[in-house]
Amino acid sequence: MSHSGTGPDSVVSFENVSKHYGSLKAVDGLSVSLRPGETVALLGPNGAGKSTSLDMLLALRKPTSGRIRMFGSDPYHAVKSGRVGAMLQSGGLMPEVTVRELVTLVAGFHPRPIPPETTMKRAGIADIAEQRVDRLSGGQTQRVRFALAISGDCELIVLDEPTTAMDVETRQLFWANMKAEVAEGKTLLFATHYLEEADQAADRILVINRGRLLADGTPAEIKERAGAKRMSFRLNRVDEPFLLSLPGLVNLEIRNDLVHIQTTDSDDTLYALLGAGYRPRELEVGSLGLEQAFIAITAEDDRANTGTPASPVEERI
Amino acid sequence: MRGTLSLAMAEVNRLRRNKRYLIFTVALPVMLYLIFGKEVATVYGVSFKVFYMVGMASFGAFAGAFNNNLIRISQERKDGWIRQLRLTPLPANAYVVAKIVGSMATTIPSIVIVLLLGRFYGGVTLPIWKWITIAVAIWLGTLIFAALAVALGYMLRPDSVQPIAMLVYFFFTIFGGLWFPLSGGLRKFGEITPTYRVIAISTSVVATGKVSMVNVAVVLIWLVGFVVFAVLAVRATAEAV
Ligand SMILES: Nc1ncnc2c1ncn2[C@@H]1O[C@H](COP(=O)(O)OP(=O)(O)OP(=O)(O)O)[C@@H](O)[C@H]1O
Ligand SMILES: [Mg+2]
Repeated sequence: MSHSGTGPDSVVSFENVSKHYGSLKAVDGLSVSLRPGETVALLGPNGAGKSTSLDMLLALRKPTSGRIRMFGSDPYHAVKSGRVGAMLQSGGLMPEVTVRELVTLVAGFHPRPIPPETTMKRAGIADIAEQRVDRLSGGQTQRVRFALAISGDCELIVLDEPTTAMDVETRQLFWANMKAEVAEGKTLLFATHYLEEADQAADRILVINRGRLLADGTPAEIKERAGAKRMSFRLNRVDEPFLLSLPGLVNLEIRNDLVHIQTTDSDDTLYALLGAGYRPRELEVGSLGLEQAFIAITAEDDRANTGTPASPVEERI
Repeated sequence: MRGTLSLAMAEVNRLRRNKRYLIFTVALPVMLYLIFGKEVATVYGVSFKVFYMVGMASFGAFAGAFNNNLIRISQERKDGWIRQLRLTPLPANAYVVAKIVGSMATTIPSIVIVLLLGRFYGGVTLPIWKWITIAVAIWLGTLIFAALAVALGYMLRPDSVQPIAMLVYFFFTIFGGLWFPLSGGLRKFGEITPTYRVIAISTSVVATGKVSMVNVAVVLIWLVGFVVFAVLAVRATAEAV
């Protein structure tokens, strides 16, 4: 896919970055660069290295090796220049002050502060402005943390699982506001476990697992790579070796006479099946969601890493 | 700099709203002075009312700079507020500087209140420069404790910090002779503490009219030592914050 490589105009670039904790490779040779105005989702299972990567980008941790650049300078100076707004996966707030006081305080740290009233409206916390920050609910706290991330006029926004703990309505409001920010030309990088969120909001998706970049592309490209179509049908006589040889096949599951196939090209697969004389019953063809694509990509990587022979017959939990 | 100052201001505002803080650093020393301040005796060559005024002013100020800062820094480190601040354009040392500036500012009223009490309730009369010397000595002492609070706050987790804070605080206040005057072997031992020396600067300036350079030197050595300790502790945890 055509997104790798360090462009001179890149907002963020990771150049062969690794982070080791003892023998654990939390991030393992990550190379990627973001162009201005992109909305990029970082996907990966728990422990994949998403937070570690974002922490290094935000100068909270130092890479074991490799180099990270942001706006052409090192992460620390980029953060201190106020060109980045960021929200971590977890992080406390200063207690004993009100929401308004805190937002006003943090806005004052920025070279180009945004009026606190505007920020609070955008983050949906105008109605709790006078409440003390140590007496908020989890979702309200999350919104205040988001408000701090956007309290200065920045060019890049980095969010680590921003919508965790938000209710459905808040999450929708959050993304509506986020889209408005992005429409102003800001670059957005966010980690998430909500795949439909990535599918809808991102124009580019990075899938990481075990600290390595597995896939990088548009949501459509990611789905295609995993086998964009899913087919299911029943057969009277199931011949596994033959089914495995079908063109375009990425994944195969067999339950008695019921066959599930993931394929990059459902037409080719079907014609080959018919051409061999099979007459499938109850044939269904559908598109694969990003979620299945994600599972397929990471599961394939896990199989390759744990040394299990790549069996196309896969048990799903 | 402007950002660091506004953070320090916010710290001061938090402290002003905190009842526990006000009770320990202002109400308790004032109450104790009202109860015991009129005792008639001579200690360290000065009247008891002078000694006790210095002791109570130090006790309140040190509690504010040490216990309070230590517990908060440890908690705020665990909660991730320090990480959160590192994402802002504030300079890296802003948090620590704001904590120290904030507590230096809030200990001024607690020192001044007890000194005023000594003047108008205890009847201590001194030339103005001696008042200033006493206030500055105690204030310098709070800086020592603020530095130690930063060092330990970065090293200790919130669940172990409370008992250690009490132990360290009682060590320095008891062996420094803040609660009651020391004599004999205890006094010999107490002389190594900065707290004893802060009291000694104050009592000797009242008794002899001179500021003892030995006392000042011991206080400064502790100050430098704890500042270095604090810098090392903050550096050592830079990754983990
Ligand atoms: N300070 C640390 N010391 C040792 N290991 C760590 C440390 N921080 C993270 N790790 C390990 O590094 C790996 C990557 O962690 P990371 O937090 O980056 O994952 P993540 O992709 O953000 O996961 P999640 O979706 O659960 O947030 C994990 O195996 C984790 O246990
Ligand atoms: Mg994470």
